[in-house]
Amino acid sequence: MSDAPVLEVSGLSVDYILDRGDVRAVDDVSFTVSRGEFLGIVGESGCGKSTLLFAVAQLLAPPAEVAAGSVTFGGTNLVGLTDGQLSAIRWRDMSVVMQSAMNALNPVKTIGAQFKDVMRAHGKVPDRDIAARSAEVLRMVGIDPEHLRSYPHQLSGGMRQRSMIAMALLFTPDLVIMDEPTSALDVVAQRSLMVQIKELQLAFGFAVIFVTHDMSLISHFSDRLMVMYAGQVDELGATRAVFDRPLHPYTQGLLEAFPSIRGPRVPLKGIPGNPPDLARVPSGCRFHPRCPYAVDKCAEVEPGLYPLDEALVRCLRREDGSLVS
Amino acid sequence: MTSELHGAGLIRAEHLTRHFKIGGALSRRTLHAVDDVNFTIGEREIVALAGESGSGKSTIARVLARIYPPTAGEVFFEGKPLAAMKSRAERLRYSGLVPMVFQDPFASINPVFRVSHGVLRSLKLHRPSLSEAQRQEETARVFEVVGLNPDMPQRFPYELSGGQRQRVGFAQALAMRPKLILADEPVSMLDVSIRIGLLNLMAKLRDDEGVSILYITHDIASARYVADRLIVMYAGQIAETGPIEDVLAHPRHPYTQLLLSAVPDPRAPLSVAAETDRGEPPRVIDPTPGCRFRWRCPLAIDTCAQVTPSLVELRPDHSAACHVAQNSSEEVKAFTA
Repeated sequence: MSDAPVLEVSGLSVDYILDRGDVRAVDDVSFTVSRGEFLGIVGESGCGKSTLLFAVAQLLAPPAEVAAGSVTFGGTNLVGLTDGQLSAIRWRDMSVVMQSAMNALNPVKTIGAQFKDVMRAHGKVPDRDIAARSAEVLRMVGIDPEHLRSYPHQLSGGMRQRSMIAMALLFTPDLVIMDEPTSALDVVAQRSLMVQIKELQLAFGFAVIFVTHDMSLISHFSDRLMVMYAGQVDELGATRAVFDRPLHPYTQGLLEAFPSIRGPRVPLKGIPGNPPDLARVPSGCRFHPRCPYAVDKCAEVEPGLYPLDEALVRCLRREDGSLVS
Repeated sequence: MTSELHGAGLIRAEHLTRHFKIGGALSRRTLHAVDDVNFTIGEREIVALAGESGSGKSTIARVLARIYPPTAGEVFFEGKPLAAMKSRAERLRYSGLVPMVFQDPFASINPVFRVSHGVLRSLKLHRPSLSEAQRQEETARVFEVVGLNPDMPQRFPYELSGGQRQRVGFAQALAMRPKLILADEPVSMLDVSIRIGLLNLMAKLRDDEGVSILYITHDIASARYVADRLIVMYAGQIAETGPIEDVLAHPRHPYTQLLLSAVPDPRAPLSVAAETDRGEPPRVIDPTPGCRFRWRCPLAIDTCAQVTPSLVELRPDHSAACHVAQNSSEEVKAFTA
């Protein structure tokens, strides 16, 4: 991996401007993505992971807006660029695969026509090259180019998701952002799609940001893992290290909430309580009301993101060393 | 089949079949959602029904809930065929004893009433002998059993989280003193940290309240966590069934093996290279005889294309519908985890 990161997000905050007051959905998030890296972002619903991803891709729409921070992609800060300026970057250098291909694909146009739209809108490509490239990317994701003439409803769920990924790869981008692309699929199709994404990534060297609520899904695919809770980063580290030695009690809780199909059957507890409402975040550490290790100061002092064992963790008791695994 | 081991069984499906006509008025095409399925659910047991989307899991639940009548075959509840329950009283009794809990906790509770409304209504309908005070008492009891605070019944659905709403769904079912709860993907829309709580609740309902549960899911790991037995569906038919630990430890049907190899498991050693399948789910429109998994199966032999395999017991109480597995003495692996 070369030294200059593809993406550098710095101090990014996103507010939803609402009548009842602003709600900060993403709070001071910083991270980088290196060339060819696979970064996983996990968290529960309402933790701000999708908002973060929309902010990175500059797809936020009112009432959401970037309140602070920068998103530097290929040396340019994307925050504040006009649609025209962004258009030169979108699809060509950075593309997004949305959660539900059923909603993201146009039901009344063939797959081929939608590929053509993208290539015409973002580049000057002659028609015969468009056809050739469309067939090529479809073949890359294991779909017969025959299906360029198919409508979305004629494809299975897995094929629709794969054609969305093919569309994202039309111009060889440096970064592909994926928002739970497998969540509508059953486990077998999910597994085969994940393997395919990883193979394409290794073959073409693009970086991936993969957002999911299911940690186990990316355990074998991502290089680094970022765990979000209530709009903040709780833990950021190498994926294997996070799974083997989770530092934040929330990450631990998430890992212990998964039953396994192997090993002894053990009773699990999950995490008590519910994720907080972002309009009323708890004082101090946002996780303290649900945390089995919380002490008095956790309710009072707001923790920062502390470096520990080559990872970052937002936990006061890790910082002062009173909590050891 | 397994009926001897589970007494007469609480509910028994025999040759259960449900087809749907598809296409326009002149179309003769038929979708075989469920084809010749036999199973028994005993008292006080959780049976997991697993399979990919379109495999017929939900259709089975809907036939058991009497939303669809079967095209062929019969369901027996406490030994009595469902088709014979004709009077309103009999049907009402059955729907109280076999209630359903739905997948989407945001769509399955009426948003304009307090959450106690559903419970109170079903008490009035299914247990008319209770007085107003007794109904309130029973409501408080079922909310407590499912782990909700005493003030919950007075709240409105929008005040509740997804996990709390799904508990309300179980409270509604429980108020009718059910024998069997049909739970169609009850946790799939909930956050990971909340799911375990609901699974623990299902186990508690079985252990403390003596309720049986048909747990429909595509998540094998969660099925293993709560269920006693597992039924694996593929393309409208049962591929494999047996005690869940035995099926997971010794999967005999190649589809079960594929399913298990695909389950993401962070505790497993790192490997991206495991073989995967690029196959597509089968079409079950006007299917021809033969095994429906044969196009995706690396072990398929000529017989598989001609004869539909039937379930044969290969281990104690554990059956698989696979020609290859039935003809080999040792375990054949088509896919490994």
